[in-house]
Amino acid sequence: MFEEKLKELEPVFYPRSIAVVGASANSVKAGSAWVWSLVSAGFPGPVYPVGSSGGRIANLDIFPSLRLIPGEVDYVIVAIPRRSVLELLDDCIAKSVKAVQFFTAGFSEMDAQQGLQLEKQMVEKARRGNIRIVGPNCIGVYCPEQRIPFIMGALGKSGCVGFASQSGGIAGKLATLGMARQIDYSKGVSFGNGIDLDASDFLQYLAADPKTKVIGAYLEGTRDGARLFNTMQAVARVKPLVVWKGGRTEAGAQAARSHTGSLASSAAIWSAALRQVGAVEVYSLEELTDTLLLFQNLGRWQGRRVAIIGGLADGGGGMSVSAGDACMDNELEVPPLSPETREELSALLGEAGSILHNPVDVSQAQFRGLETLFRAIDLVARDTAVDAVLIQEDIDIVLPIYSQQGLEEISEFFIHLRSKQNKPLLVVLPPGSSEPERLQTEQKLLKGSIPVFCSVERAARALSNLNRYSFRRGLVDPSLTQPVTMPEPG
Amino acid sequence: MTKSHNALTEVEAKELLAKARIPVVETKLARSKREAISMSKEMGFPVVLKVNSRDVIHKSDSGGVKLGLANATQAGKAYSEIMSSIRQAHPDARIEGISVQPMVAPAVEVIVGMSKDPQFGPVIMFGLGGILVEVLKDVSFRIVPLTERDAGEMIREIKGYPILEGYRGQKPASLPALEKLIVQVSRFVEKNSHIRELDLNPVFAYPDRALAVDARIILE
Repeated sequence: MFEEKLKELEPVFYPRSIAVVGASANSVKAGSAWVWSLVSAGFPGPVYPVGSSGGRIANLDIFPSLRLIPGEVDYVIVAIPRRSVLELLDDCIAKSVKAVQFFTAGFSEMDAQQGLQLEKQMVEKARRGNIRIVGPNCIGVYCPEQRIPFIMGALGKSGCVGFASQSGGIAGKLATLGMARQIDYSKGVSFGNGIDLDASDFLQYLAADPKTKVIGAYLEGTRDGARLFNTMQAVARVKPLVVWKGGRTEAGAQAARSHTGSLASSAAIWSAALRQVGAVEVYSLEELTDTLLLFQNLGRWQGRRVAIIGGLADGGGGMSVSAGDACMDNELEVPPLSPETREELSALLGEAGSILHNPVDVSQAQFRGLETLFRAIDLVARDTAVDAVLIQEDIDIVLPIYSQQGLEEISEFFIHLRSKQNKPLLVVLPPGSSEPERLQTEQKLLKGSIPVFCSVERAARALSNLNRYSFRRGLVDPSLTQPVTMPEPG
Repeated sequence: MTKSHNALTEVEAKELLAKARIPVVETKLARSKREAISMSKEMGFPVVLKVNSRDVIHKSDSGGVKLGLANATQAGKAYSEIMSSIRQAHPDARIEGISVQPMVAPAVEVIVGMSKDPQFGPVIMFGLGGILVEVLKDVSFRIVPLTERDAGEMIREIKGYPILEGYRGQKPASLPALEKLIVQVSRFVEKNSHIRELDLNPVFAYPDRALAVDARIILE
């Protein structure tokens, strides 16, 4: 589906050469930042800085005009004032450029009449010259595989999560949050006002892109709702589509108008549309990243029954109670473990009673050693009464009881269990007084493809989102309901 | 008085809907008292008489609706009363006549509506009738065109859904009938893009069928 988009947008995500218009030798201009970012990220093709001041930047000559660049230019990043954009497009046409990205802002989002008029002229010119436009008012393309960073420069690893964002700020943060949580992106794009290429084009591209397995989107509004609706419906059929709609409230909608010039529909209608197309609606940047992380690490998933291990070492009573609430609040189930499992746990831990139902309290293992702890967790994970295991590991408590070495052994055991057990393992590492150790543990687990969250509520919510998507897809087309499969760790 | 020159009268709206095979209560336009009485007899008592005017939106507020008329005498008297109270309340209103319809048995009341969203175009709304929709805004939306599954989901999505499942010994409303009606409305508005707004309020949800009792259509 949408295979034609791969070719159409190839110069956007895989340009062979990039010119940056609006660069200068010694300033903190956006254009200069882009040149440095592309060079330090190691973009494989030529990078051509263009600016009226002349001189050099990042060991590259600055060309006074696009037309004076000797080689071919596939893609142009533009960071110049809006009064010069039409002239610049003429230069692009003369140079047979394939696509242009405009960081330049101040169009329909600022000034409805004049801005809109200028946007129209830009699109007309670009169409005549066979050039595609990304933006304006955006930070454009991010493609780790092609070593194209956003303006801020950090590149991250190449992976299977794609995203499209109307907002540049959110696109940038999504990229860097991904770096923090090992969400690895295939492609990302911030498309701003989307006067030519808009959300529908990028979602169609990501749906066709073989490198992308999961798609996230941040949207504020659309100029063609019917096309976006049909696109989302088709896209969600083939890949999980997670959408965060900004501007849900009156204040938000007002901000969206001046941000990307978007018309407002009521939040209820957006929610209905997203439900109808089979997308997963999320309500914050945190929920978006949590859900993308879970889709990345688990793929399609169906199973609402969760085993909760409230306190890995101790102090898990209240945590277990609230974790149970968090799961139930998010349409998950916390069923009792099977009698066999409870019996074995009781023999292992020398405990009986309700603490071995679910949520499970394994704190007694601290008096018997790590092997006992691991056997207890293994028993819980094996139980066919549950589909997923959610473990709350408070480093502040685990560290003094099991020591640094024990902490590392626990992480290794989780990674081992994950590769052995055909069942998702979600780990919650709440922040506290041992941040260096917690971050170390988080990175280690994430590297082992274990999704890590900082609260049970967020983990439960993400798992529920995953379930909702998979359940819905199962209803639409039973052949899409996969048996539980886990990607290889790595 | 609320004037809307693009509004169809109830009789016009119901004719259009009936042609699209959306179940509506049989409603005829009487242009005289005699016609109203003979139509009532034909339909069978009890009947309902309503003023039929595109200039009068809130018909019952100005004495334009008479319910449960049991015989010819009552129907004739209702005709005269409606005419005089409308002429008093809305002296400028153009009155096409009086609509006559059978007084159908009560049932759970729901609302099916359509309005146009600036971004997504025609949107169908579903809710329970009366206070639940007005005060609690307990409604669900779907973008046109709807599948039967979309219709089923939007019915189950409202908080008041258990009322449709039957409570206090009431028989459950027919969900397939409601789903079908919603899908038919979706198809109808899809084909008729010049309709700006549509309201079936109320629709009676019976255990075996769904029936629109009142209808309002506003054109672009």
